[in-house]
Amino acid sequence: MPAVAIVGVGQTHHSRRRKDVSQVGLAREAVTRALEDAGLTMADIDSVVVCTGPVLFAAVNQPEKWLVDAIGARLKPVVRVTSGGGTGLAGALAAVNQVRAGFADRVLVVAYDKLSEGALQYSISTLYDPFWGREFAVGIMGFSAAYWRARMDVLGHTEEAAALVSVKNHKNAMLNPYAHVRKEVSVEDVLSSRPLCWPIKLLDVPPISDGACAVILASESAAKACLDPAWIRGMAYYCEAENAAYRSMIQSEPLTLAASRVYQQAGITNPRRQCDVVEVQEPFTCFELSYYEGLGLCPPGGAAELVASGATELTGDIPVNPSGGCMGANPIGATALIRLAEIAQQVRGRAGAHQVPDARVGLMQAGGGWANLRGVAVVSSEKG
Amino acid sequence: MTDGLVTSIDEAQVLTTTLSMPYTLTTGPAAGSFLFELGNHRILGSRCEVCSRTVVPPSDYCSRCGEAPDEFVQLPETGTVTALTRTDRGVLALIRLDGADADLLHRLDLAKGAVTVGTRVRAVWAATATQSVLDLDCFVLDEDDQPPGTAHPAGEVGLIAQVPHQLELEYQHSYGPHYGRLFDELASSRRILGSLCPTCRNVLVPPREFCDACFVRTGQHVDVSDHGVLQAFSVIHLEFVGQTRTPPYIYAEIVLDGSATRLIHTVAGFDVATAAERLSIGMPVRAVWKDPADCRGTLNDIDYFEPVPSPDQQ
Ligand SMILES: [Zn+2]
Ligand SMILES: [Zn+2]
Repeated sequence: MPAVAIVGVGQTHHSRRRKDVSQVGLAREAVTRALEDAGLTMADIDSVVVCTGPVLFAAVNQPEKWLVDAIGARLKPVVRVTSGGGTGLAGALAAVNQVRAGFADRVLVVAYDKLSEGALQYSISTLYDPFWGREFAVGIMGFSAAYWRARMDVLGHTEEAAALVSVKNHKNAMLNPYAHVRKEVSVEDVLSSRPLCWPIKLLDVPPISDGACAVILASESAAKACLDPAWIRGMAYYCEAENAAYRSMIQSEPLTLAASRVYQQAGITNPRRQCDVVEVQEPFTCFELSYYEGLGLCPPGGAAELVASGATELTGDIPVNPSGGCMGANPIGATALIRLAEIAQQVRGRAGAHQVPDARVGLMQAGGGWANLRGVAVVSSEKG
Repeated sequence: MTDGLVTSIDEAQVLTTTLSMPYTLTTGPAAGSFLFELGNHRILGSRCEVCSRTVVPPSDYCSRCGEAPDEFVQLPETGTVTALTRTDRGVLALIRLDGADADLLHRLDLAKGAVTVGTRVRAVWAATATQSVLDLDCFVLDEDDQPPGTAHPAGEVGLIAQVPHQLELEYQHSYGPHYGRLFDELASSRRILGSLCPTCRNVLVPPREFCDACFVRTGQHVDVSDHGVLQAFSVIHLEFVGQTRTPPYIYAEIVLDGSATRLIHTVAGFDVATAAERLSIGMPVRAVWKDPADCRGTLNDIDYFEPVPSPDQQ
């Protein structure tokens, strides 16, 4: 397969509510930073992929039409890709495929959401069937809490295990200048925080953010001009049926499928040993635990033990979310692309205060729903 | 049984739902200043010197070159109609204000004379300001026959940073044969139907045309029990816009006996504060139905599910 590299990334300083810019103004900031990082201008960009969450988040249909003006993308190929929480990664995969297919040499992926503008839980609840269950919907929090509770029962995990994820990610976010929640918390703080959808409590939940991220993907020849490209060694994105018979809620099948496909592409047989750093999209702390297992960083059911061992801390042997993950900022449509950007910065040695020393191979995961949509990518400083 | 909700091709029985979504939209500097200054009876535009273009309403970014504009300009209140259409809510027109290089969409009041492309028009201000584009009430025929005005620098401008917005979205969802039959039976007979997959032999609730796993056409509707097991639950304390129940309550996914899929509902009939101790995964639950007179053919015809007391509790 033709090689594809990340040659520039940019993100906004995320916040609860940006009153000074419109939705597209926010996206423009990330694009400007990514172009600057890559040493390129919009004239160098062959194609644009725009990623945002459901339009009900922001009351603007076809937001890409508005964005074209704001980023100077007039008369270029522009498409919007959306796929729940995994939107940013689904868009990146579309861009990677545009490069692989020879359609474009440099593709700009820009992902954003300005969640301060709409009614988040209500918007997300419209993903439920209007005939069948929508009246009981509580965004994704209601069912996520329920499935976490089921995992706890089956696997013997405790609320403390998820609290450790919160403590770790909050601590890491302190080192991330783009995070907007920068406050250390203790296990006791998490356990005693207000229940929202028990067992999910306030400090298991990321902030609601305004934010944007942009990533520039380039073909091998176009990446030659870049001093420190991050090569895409594998990328996949899978989907599950919504209400199929005997669906397991203990592990996401789309995640295990995506991971095994990407590991095969990247030549990874032991992800814990071969990957230096991991970024995952954790809508709530309990998700990160199930990802450890789905990504094969530990055996099935071993997530509570893994987080308790400290292995996934910034100083551990397999650091997960050195950026702080969603706990630092969660502009949903941008979040998956932020994970990809962060992992690229790690293998480029540009992650700043939360850099994992000598990181060469990075693993990232993103998706939507408790188990429905899952994508995985491996990025490396080596072309392979 | 009744055929109340079953949909045929020519007669659609629909579930009408309304999404009533509140927003607080951020204008950005250009749109925010435009809205503010309309209240001062000033029409703002923005000027890009790279492209030598002035656009109205102003834009934070030049749509030609992508650069931020150099300055806000104030445009004359006169211009020329470049296109128009008659709608049942009046005449809408594109108006090229004097000194602008792009058109402004607004409404025309045709009480005074006929308007065509090329007609000169002037702005009329609303009697009371509402901080919206309708502070500029409309355009009317300009009978003064003055020479066209020009744009000039706007100087200091104010800003409306955020504007409230409301979407009222009404939908009419067609029941179709499966949902129609399901909800008819639910309302009239307290029966819950599923579809039997001829390949995997699983019973799928709600009933459906195809099996999701085998993708073969399901054969027949079969009854499933109103008893089942609790597959997953959480205790909802969160309050949010659009919520249909008052917290705290239980979010529950139940697998009904005889089916292989989840049903989303609530478990109740006891003190919710004791849910964490009282409920467990895999425990048997059963439907508590509403009074037949109150059944409407929705999932809410089941008031809630309750834990089935174990034999020694009975
Ligand atoms: Zn320009
Ligand atoms: Zn089947």
